Amino acid sequence: MVGRWLVAFAFFLHSYPPYRNAKIFIYNLLENSHYPYKKYFDYGMIALIFLSVYILIRQVKYEMPIEWLFFNNYVISLIFLIEYLVRLWIYSDNAKVVIDQYESDLFLHRPFSLSQALKTILKQKLEFILSPAAIIDLLAIMPFFHELRMLRIFVLFRVLKLFRYAKSLRRLISILASKKFELLTLALFALIMIMVSSVLIYVMEATNPKSPINTLFEALYWSVVTIFTVGYGDMVPVTSEGRTVAMIIIVSGIAVISFATSIIVTAFTEKLDEVKEEKMIDDVSKLERFYLVCGYSALANEVVHRLRKASKHIVVLEKDPKKAKEAHDDGMYVLNFDSASLHTYGAIRLHFEQQVIAVILLQDSDVANIYTALTIRELNKKIPLHSILHKPENRKKLSMAGIDEMVNPHELVGFMSKKISNQPIAFEVIHALRSEHGGTVIEEVILDVGMSKRFFELLLHPLFHQRLSMLGIYQRETQSFAFNPSPMFEIQAGDIAIIVANRSLVSEFRNLLHRKKV
Amino acid sequence: MRSAAVFGFNEYSRQIAAQVRNIYQDFALFVINEEEKKAAIQAGFLVELFDLSEDWRGIEKNFDVENLIVFCALANDAENVFLTISLRATFDKLHIVALAQDNQSAIKMKSAGADKVLPSLQIAANVISDMLEKPVVTKVLHDVLYEDGLLNIVEIEVTRHSSFVGKYLHEIHFKSEYDVILLAIVDHEMGTTFSFASKGHNHHIDPGDILVAIGYQDKLNVLIDAVRRRSV
Repeated sequence: MVGRWLVAFAFFLHSYPPYRNAKIFIYNLLENSHYPYKKYFDYGMIALIFLSVYILIRQVKYEMPIEWLFFNNYVISLIFLIEYLVRLWIYSDNAKVVIDQYESDLFLHRPFSLSQALKTILKQKLEFILSPAAIIDLLAIMPFFHELRMLRIFVLFRVLKLFRYAKSLRRLISILASKKFELLTLALFALIMIMVSSVLIYVMEATNPKSPINTLFEALYWSVVTIFTVGYGDMVPVTSEGRTVAMIIIVSGIAVISFATSIIVTAFTEKLDEVKEEKMIDDVSKLERFYLVCGYSALANEVVHRLRKASKHIVVLEKDPKKAKEAHDDGMYVLNFDSASLHTYGAIRLHFEQQVIAVILLQDSDVANIYTALTIRELNKKIPLHSILHKPENRKKLSMAGIDEMVNPHELVGFMSKKISNQPIAFEVIHALRSEHGGTVIEEVILDVGMSKRFFELLLHPLFHQRLSMLGIYQRETQSFAFNPSPMFEIQAGDIAIIVANRSLVSEFRNLLHRKKV
Repeated sequence: MRSAAVFGFNEYSRQIAAQVRNIYQDFALFVINEEEKKAAIQAGFLVELFDLSEDWRGIEKNFDVENLIVFCALANDAENVFLTISLRATFDKLHIVALAQDNQSAIKMKSAGADKVLPSLQIAANVISDMLEKPVVTKVLHDVLYEDGLLNIVEIEVTRHSSFVGKYLHEIHFKSEYDVILLAIVDHEMGTTFSFASKGHNHHIDPGDILVAIGYQDKLNVLIDAVRRRSV
């Protein structure tokens, strides 16, 4: 009966959206480091920890106001307690465990085993309770029982909670954890050495009335201080046997310290690339709008330098570590990933719609660019795709792969040669406009509906007349270009005027155009 | 008689040759080895073999050097520089257009005596970045320059007896009267340097000046006729 009721309740919870959404929201807030609001929660908790430690230190010598103590002992502890319970709640999905058990039993024609389900739930919860982080959380709540004065010291466990909220600290732990076996072996060696030397020094020294080492605790203290090469000098062995032990333990101590250092340094060196990569992914995920360049070729280098001049953010995806390093040395955001792999875009947490202005495919072959284009199109149908076209005969294939615009350098050079032959001056004029040499530029000015009158009036304004040429207006709706339109031309939202003038004059024109009164 | 010669046969020179061979009455394609020769013949070109160490007097025999334009488009930049400097050393008045892979080579080509350098990498990079940042401008300029559309760009030389001679630029209403836009003007006295019409200088038009205008071909034809019309 209880079992049936529990299964029904589990199914209800499992399919009840407010419950699921609340659990997902809390999970994101507490555990999902990519969730944008998690950092605010973490900052709040870090502030509470520091406040708590400040109160503990302050109250050692000074009288604290009762409200502060109340806040520390009850409010902060209560917040930590709630956090602990909520973490316990989200650690596993009890409803799912019950449902899984029910369905498994049903499949095998067995009666629902309530005890097995409860056992699984308990096992999962215990797994959380016994995890080091949860133990620290629990100990940090202890000052809640402030009547027990000794327990106040547990407030220091709150400092350890910082590991939960500071990403760099978590990273440090994970790096050290990668060398767990080596560090544990070394720790075991050090422990054995301490134990042996403590007993030996006690045996050798305790019976000598001149020796400062008289108890086993003092022997242990001396061993620890010596093996870790601190050597305060407050206790020194006086017998020859004791000094022999000291010599052995000093040598062992140096070995322990140097091995420990080497293990930690190795761990950091091994993980350095990974750490850098993670940092780069984090930085990229914070960028709002950028161009994604796939492949860092010589052409890519030129393109990104031009785009950076226009103050655009660029992210380079390059699978060749050598080229990736070049891009990094050139100051790019570069991710050493294969742009043709679907896995890449999940790993780098890229949001095409929100972050990417356009993708530029500049790899060294049409084959690679087509492959990457198909991968990107699988993820996003709308993102503008631009590509270099190495061989004109592949144009159709690139187009079929979903590439919107392509540039063939060979054709361009051919066209240019023709123009240079036919109209060298006209070519130079257009080239100068494009390259923005000499201060005269050709710019796009975005227009809005109802702007016609103001736009054409401004063109006749003494400041702009004879000094600013409007070539025409590109009509967004019909995707056609109206050359030299008359003042009767009806401007629509999103239409673009092409203006030729001095850069500062274009800027002034834009400003005046968007002001209400000229 | 205007003539053109293209040196080298690779993807770039193939495109150059394909685009310019019909413009000139006399056209020649020079290749550096048998492999290039074979590929060029397969592509339908008549070719001649050349050697970087030759003295180039053959060119003088076959072409009027003062009316010859040469495209140095060898695949190797170092060889291309050598070709450019060799041609310049032999012919002072030869018009040389050289292809360079990048800006560094472009500087060397210029120093070697090329009149015009086309740095292929920069050209492609400029077009790609313009397509991204100024897509409409890029499309319109591309159509004007390279496509045989209705919109065109022309260079019109002001003849000695033109009705435009003696007028100031601001007296001519290019937009309203001719429905064209004057982009730039080359002052005959200043050589080949052009200045943009939007600079606002009220230039005095002299014979030999060149007007660079943009517009629909029929309107441009009207302007061309007007410029060439004799003053009464």
